[in-house]
Amino acid sequence: MNLNIDAIKSITYDAIVVGSGVSGGYAAKELTEKGMRTLVLDRGKQMEHITGYEPSYKDPWDFKYNGLLTQEQKASHPKLSRDYPYNEMTEKYWMNDSDSLYKEEKRFDWFRPNIVGGKSIMWGRQTYRLSDLDFEANLKDGIAVDWPIRYADIAPWYSYVEKHVGISGEALGLPHLPDSEFLKPMDMYCVEKEVRKRIEKNFPGRHMTIGRVANLSEAKQAQLGIGRSACQYRNKCRLGCPYGAYFSTQSCTLPPAAKTGLLTLRPDSLVSEIIYDAQKQRAKGVRVIDTVTHEVKEYYAKVIFVCGSTVSTTALLLNSKSNRFQNGFGNDSGELGHNLMDHHFKIGASGTWEGDEDKYYIGRRANGIYIPRYRNIGNDKRDYLRGFGYQGSGSRQGWNRGIGDLSFGPDYKDSMTRPGPWSMALSGFGETLPYHENKMYLDPNTKDKWGLPVVVFDAEFKENERKMRKDIMNDAGEMLEAAGLKNVKAYDNGSYPGMAIHEMGTARMGRDPKTSVLNGHNQVHACKNVFVTDGAAMTSTSCVNPSLTYMALTARAADFAVKEIKKKNL
Amino acid sequence: MNINRREAVQRVAALMGGMISAPAMAGIMGQKTNQGTFVSFSAEQVDLIVAIADVIIPSTKTPGAKAAGAEKYILNVVQDCYTKAEQDTFYAGLVKIDADCKTKTGKGFVQATDVQKKEALTACMLEGDVARKAKKGPTPFFFMIKELATVGYFTSKIGATEALDYLPIPGKFDGCMPLDPKQKTWAL
Repeated sequence: MNLNIDAIKSITYDAIVVGSGVSGGYAAKELTEKGMRTLVLDRGKQMEHITGYEPSYKDPWDFKYNGLLTQEQKASHPKLSRDYPYNEMTEKYWMNDSDSLYKEEKRFDWFRPNIVGGKSIMWGRQTYRLSDLDFEANLKDGIAVDWPIRYADIAPWYSYVEKHVGISGEALGLPHLPDSEFLKPMDMYCVEKEVRKRIEKNFPGRHMTIGRVANLSEAKQAQLGIGRSACQYRNKCRLGCPYGAYFSTQSCTLPPAAKTGLLTLRPDSLVSEIIYDAQKQRAKGVRVIDTVTHEVKEYYAKVIFVCGSTVSTTALLLNSKSNRFQNGFGNDSGELGHNLMDHHFKIGASGTWEGDEDKYYIGRRANGIYIPRYRNIGNDKRDYLRGFGYQGSGSRQGWNRGIGDLSFGPDYKDSMTRPGPWSMALSGFGETLPYHENKMYLDPNTKDKWGLPVVVFDAEFKENERKMRKDIMNDAGEMLEAAGLKNVKAYDNGSYPGMAIHEMGTARMGRDPKTSVLNGHNQVHACKNVFVTDGAAMTSTSCVNPSLTYMALTARAADFAVKEIKKKNL
Repeated sequence: MNINRREAVQRVAALMGGMISAPAMAGIMGQKTNQGTFVSFSAEQVDLIVAIADVIIPSTKTPGAKAAGAEKYILNVVQDCYTKAEQDTFYAGLVKIDADCKTKTGKGFVQATDVQKKEALTACMLEGDVARKAKKGPTPFFFMIKELATVGYFTSKIGATEALDYLPIPGKFDGCMPLDPKQKTWAL
């Protein structure tokens, strides 16, 4: 009967993209622009650009608790409420803990968005290129496996995405932190300008620059043409930007994808399984659970991009079992779920700055400063591998500075209405090594409300990270003291995997199918029409914020996939 | 160079221009929070809270905490965000400052003169400082209500737009410019 053929046609696409965050959105843009009818599936609720960012339109007095969590929210979100991303203002952007069950053999803070666009709405927007210092690291150190690509392979793709995304920053010409295609850099506070001079003078080889950030310090035609405009310096990015002034799926990748007329986006669509066709030895499509009705549907395509965010991506692969893949999709190596990584952070120093009382600022810069990695570079050799960078910021203390003081009344009130002293803080982000034993797996005996096995985490920071943290803390204090800050305090607030929300690895790229899940094109070694281009693909973490690399890898893989389809190799 | 963790968190929060309250601090410090059934505030208690907040942030050239309705935030946070232990400390503090004021002046805090109110709150503050230095139990009552009144006031419409400079859409960023003598602290 024709009916069946039509029915299959209507659920058959050229490409399926699982997830609509940084990577999934980029895959959708690239695939549709190359003429592919593309279905994007996201488990989250629809989040309309501009009108969906309701909290971003509110004034402080519109919030009941000025952002604090209630006891009720803490009780319903015991894990998510462990840290700042979940608060009164972002309540509807994240999943309920009860919908997001997971187990911890060791503590892991898993932040799962519940919206189309995923974490591209709430991300920190810091954007840095990896370099050959990173791509060659595993090989040189003789650990884990070698990256199957080098900087030269990805450099043109960094440039390609950066011109579209719009990255504000300053060119430094450092080989180990390659420059992006920059929009003009944001300004520094007076204290930052002076601290920069003094750090660079006192510590040759160290640099301080303004953060490289996916916010439009100026809007060029590439951005204006898709309805974006320049940053208004409200610093409400994490609530969604009605100006489209930072990179998100909604502002940056969905509009051009939609413009092709080839995009279908389905929210509330939880992908439970990749369907393997044993005869054709390729993936046939995906099985989807409607998160609201629990109805199960199937969709088919020539090529599947899995971009669900590291842990969800690998959970999907592990859950996709068949005779061919009895231990999870593409898991011939046994490495699927292993080498789970995140940056370690929450460590640094801060101090107060005497002077510049006659200086102030206008605007709220949603960006800080950055000190690129300088450890284990050139002749510097430490008792640990790899290195770290610092994010930081100067600031002038405001009306909340006197809360702990012994004061009240008219003098207290009036002094709070005048700006306080300046200060400066540095906060390190360190590379974590890929350890085979740091892993996630599925617990078949515990199911979530959609009947899917829950994820179990068993990962920890180890000796290399602990040794590095000593340097991060001491160096931060030393640099601030040398720069003339007073009352310098170093701190280590402790760091658990997951909390940096830079989770990476678990389906790593590599040269050898026996020891890795993906090849140098992010293609599953054992099933060529499935690509994984999110953090799961990372072979090592570098110490820089990873999202820009996901965009570049995704654009590169999409280009490769479409060429392979045209060559009839896929 | 090492300092204890709580101080470090406080310091960083202050430096980053952030606001870390007792409940948020409890979360950061990994403390357990207790769930308790909340008994709503009586009208007398609300009056007392309003009166204390208005001594902390009085009307000067600009309206104070009472005129700004800062108690709405105070009640919301104590009722919904505080742990049971913090609520207990808050209630005990309210009872004590009122009772101490009565013992000393024959009048409850709300009825006391401005000078008597200032004396009562000063005594409460000094007690709080002693308790804070002993580092036992939750934040002392004085620092709780000072934080609540301050945040409630400066995030209210009156506080943010009249006592401070409020610029919801700056449209530009200049990080190093001369401070205008008339410039007030930015509300945001």
